[in-house]
Amino acid sequence: MTSLRYSLAALALIGATQSAVAADNLDIIVPFAAGGATDIVARSFEPTFSQQLGVTSVVRNVAGASATVGTAEVANSEGNPNIIGYEPAGALTIQPSLKKLPYGPDSFTYICRTVSNPMFLMVSKSSDITSFKQLVKESQDQPFLYGSSGPGTLPHLAMAATVVNSDLKAEHIPYSGSGPAMNALAGNEIQIMADTETILENYDLRPLAVFAGHRLEGYDDVPTIEELGLPELDFAVWQGVVAPKGISDERAQQYADACKATVESDKFKTFADKAKAGIAYLGPDDFKAFVEKRFEANKQVLKDAGLTQ
Amino acid sequence: MFASLIHPRILTALALLLAGGGLSVSAWQGPGSAMLVPRIVLTIWCAIALAILIGELVRRVPVKNVKLSPLPLLMAAVLIAAIATASLGFLIPALPLVALTLWLFRIRRPLPLLVGTIVIGGGLWFLFHHVLLIRLPALLTNGVI
Amino acid sequence: MDVILAAIGDAFTWQALLAIVIGTWAGIIIGGLPGLGSVVGLTIFLPFTFGMDVITSMALLIGVYCGSVYGGSITAILINTPGTPQSAATVFDGYPMTQQGRVDEALGWATFASFFGGVLSCVLLIFCAPQLAKFAVNFGSIEVFALVCLAMLCIVGISRGSLLKGLVCGMMGFFFSMVGSDPITGADRFTFGTYALSSGLDLIPVVVGAFALSEVFVRFSARDEEATTIPEARLRFPSWREIGRRLIELVRGSFIGSFVGALPGTGAAAAAFISYAAAQKLSPRRANLGKGEPDGIIASESSNNAVTGSAFIPTLALGIPGDVVTAMMMGAMVIHGITPGVRLMADQAQTVYALFVVLIIVNVAMLILSKPSIGLFRYLFKLPLGFVMAGIVMFSFIGAVSVRGNPLDLVVAALTGILAYVLRRGGYPLAPLVIGMVLGPALESSLRRGLLISRGDFFSFFTHSGIATTLFVLIALFLIWTVAAGVLEWRAKVAARREASSAQPVSE
Repeated sequence: MTSLRYSLAALALIGATQSAVAADNLDIIVPFAAGGATDIVARSFEPTFSQQLGVTSVVRNVAGASATVGTAEVANSEGNPNIIGYEPAGALTIQPSLKKLPYGPDSFTYICRTVSNPMFLMVSKSSDITSFKQLVKESQDQPFLYGSSGPGTLPHLAMAATVVNSDLKAEHIPYSGSGPAMNALAGNEIQIMADTETILENYDLRPLAVFAGHRLEGYDDVPTIEELGLPELDFAVWQGVVAPKGISDERAQQYADACKATVESDKFKTFADKAKAGIAYLGPDDFKAFVEKRFEANKQVLKDAGLTQ
Repeated sequence: MFASLIHPRILTALALLLAGGGLSVSAWQGPGSAMLVPRIVLTIWCAIALAILIGELVRRVPVKNVKLSPLPLLMAAVLIAAIATASLGFLIPALPLVALTLWLFRIRRPLPLLVGTIVIGGGLWFLFHHVLLIRLPALLTNGVI
Repeated sequence: MDVILAAIGDAFTWQALLAIVIGTWAGIIIGGLPGLGSVVGLTIFLPFTFGMDVITSMALLIGVYCGSVYGGSITAILINTPGTPQSAATVFDGYPMTQQGRVDEALGWATFASFFGGVLSCVLLIFCAPQLAKFAVNFGSIEVFALVCLAMLCIVGISRGSLLKGLVCGMMGFFFSMVGSDPITGADRFTFGTYALSSGLDLIPVVVGAFALSEVFVRFSARDEEATTIPEARLRFPSWREIGRRLIELVRGSFIGSFVGALPGTGAAAAAFISYAAAQKLSPRRANLGKGEPDGIIASESSNNAVTGSAFIPTLALGIPGDVVTAMMMGAMVIHGITPGVRLMADQAQTVYALFVVLIIVNVAMLILSKPSIGLFRYLFKLPLGFVMAGIVMFSFIGAVSVRGNPLDLVVAALTGILAYVLRRGGYPLAPLVIGMVLGPALESSLRRGLLISRGDFFSFFTHSGIATTLFVLIALFLIWTVAAGVLEWRAKVAARREASSAQPVSE
């Protein structure tokens, strides 16, 4: 019993010293609940990043409404030099076109993109479909069903764009996350799903195409969407760091330097390798241009698929 | 005759019916696919609330002698503290709320009141916000309080 | 065999055992404090796991998880306020037992049932995980819809005596779950143009308001009466004879919990309600349920703790997290380079077996630590009522705001608290509100998905699969049974009244 009290006290002490030393606190907003895929990367990114900046940081999970609540909190903290957001692709480049939000793509100071993983178009390994052509052919009699991790998420958009731009006949069934969608795929409730390499490797899935400009290393026999006679469709699950608008250029530069050093650090690289997160650093200007480009492209997809309000 | 209708139970049932009705209006105006289930649920709600209202009207439970109680004060304090947290941070509304709760629950000697407020209000806040690093809403941008 | 021995060796390191003790003990206390539940507990401990090895960090998190599910029952029994939503069904019989002065017995049954459910689900996890996972895959949207419909019917049983009021509360809870983005089209519902509402209402703030805050209000209006003093918390384990007498209840609850836990997207709160409803139909002592019958506590606590083990079945066998909590565990595994998926059992057998061992040790630790934890609550509740109530208000606030870091959730909790007080005064049971809110989203999204899959043909649901047909037949039987029992009861009542009125002329 005594040892238990000591250990609890020790735990408390670690936390207390951590925050007592901190003259400067940095809040890193993660717009998902703790333990999610984005949260894990953010929490591995955080220690090196705050060490580089020389501050104590706290990961704060502000979840809800397809990650827009947390993102809005960053956008609303205009001029606050002690808050940044670790953001997923959807909250920055899809949600603003889907509904009325208190922020848009120009509400942020862009710091860096950290990781990016291209998406694959996949079917279950137990199905006898081995090529996109066969998929299109078999969909003519009875349309297939494709799953997604929710309405207006990247898996939804990627498939919606494919359906609009090809002869594939498929309808959308949204689930509350990749997990439940995989369950449905295993039970043959849905037949098609678009998601990243992590999902592809962890479940029994067969890739039919990749949503990228070129074939990927390790998947040399998986054609790109463009090779299949569709217009180029570029869908990747990426994450990046943004700060609110109105912070000083000096502070923005500090963030950018710290981010670059973190992404290049061995610690983060080892983690990314284990978690199959593809490091894809982009500096402030490139990241800003990238977000704007993706925002416009996604808006077009949403319009073509009739999803904008 | 009319005064006997103002019975708390009848008013509760009536309020439920009105709330259900008001929300139904909003549900029937919305898009059909998204509002399919809300329409079903709210229709059932209204039907049951109506039945409850009739039931309460038929079987009048005698009104208990209502004493004047400071309970609404406690409720208002909880609500105001909850609303104020968004703009004032967690600590500042929490301290008076704890003090008032202690006072209303008959802890009125200054020392226990003070110590209770500081330990329950401030201590728990410090434990979660600074030690366990579960960030509660903060007043200052650097998150210290 | 070598793998299993190596796995046992992994689990019996001093770091892992210390992590289990700290995690389980902290979990019980966090679960017991109203407002703070499994998610907050895991969020507190997740950052500590970064420097640990896989087994130690999983031991800590599993300890917190299992401990918190059990801990919720302590406050449910002592002060009529479930510490976590998972223990909401424990209140039905736990608090009446307390009022009858049978606290020690109630806590003893809650503790033993939790332990029994936890261990039985571990055994199922170890021996039947692949089979159960395969069976769970057959539960598509339509089957889930049928199952949730069946579970929803437990509202009828729980609101005995005030069926209409129970139903309206159920609908209210269902409605609460529909505020915010529509899960299928993404359109905003009932936000009335307020952006803050588009993230919807979370379960925790509503439960905190409905139970913890409204309990503070109720105790406030009766603060000078004798009944408000909280009885001293003691623990008395049931004897072997008593356990033997109620063994069937324990086994039934544990199996229901294990099975519901293995289905993705349901969770411990739903399992406890389903198990309670089953006890209402099948327990030999069902007439006493709701009036302080240990069978009710057993039904709730054995099933919600059985979920803790079986929730790992889809996670480990398929890599599909069953609920928010297992999703957090999966995240912790990913940090340590273990990606759950279909090949996890084959590739990482030693780690998986070590996890099984850890789960069993955690349940034993829970049984041992129950006594000191309840002792702690005994000291806390010995404080003057004002301090206890102020503490409950504070923990409710912290719990409500820290679930998703949204200050609006505090306002939701406060308003729900006031609403719940008014409803309680009007004789409305509040548990259906929680049931509606827990099961509502699953019911709605499975119905809508089912309609998409069957292309709008609702009647094809009944013949979709053998499982679906069986479940719908069960629902029909349940309804017929309930209606028939109601009619019989009503006729008996009418007959009794007629007899009474013929014997004694009406004076009014």
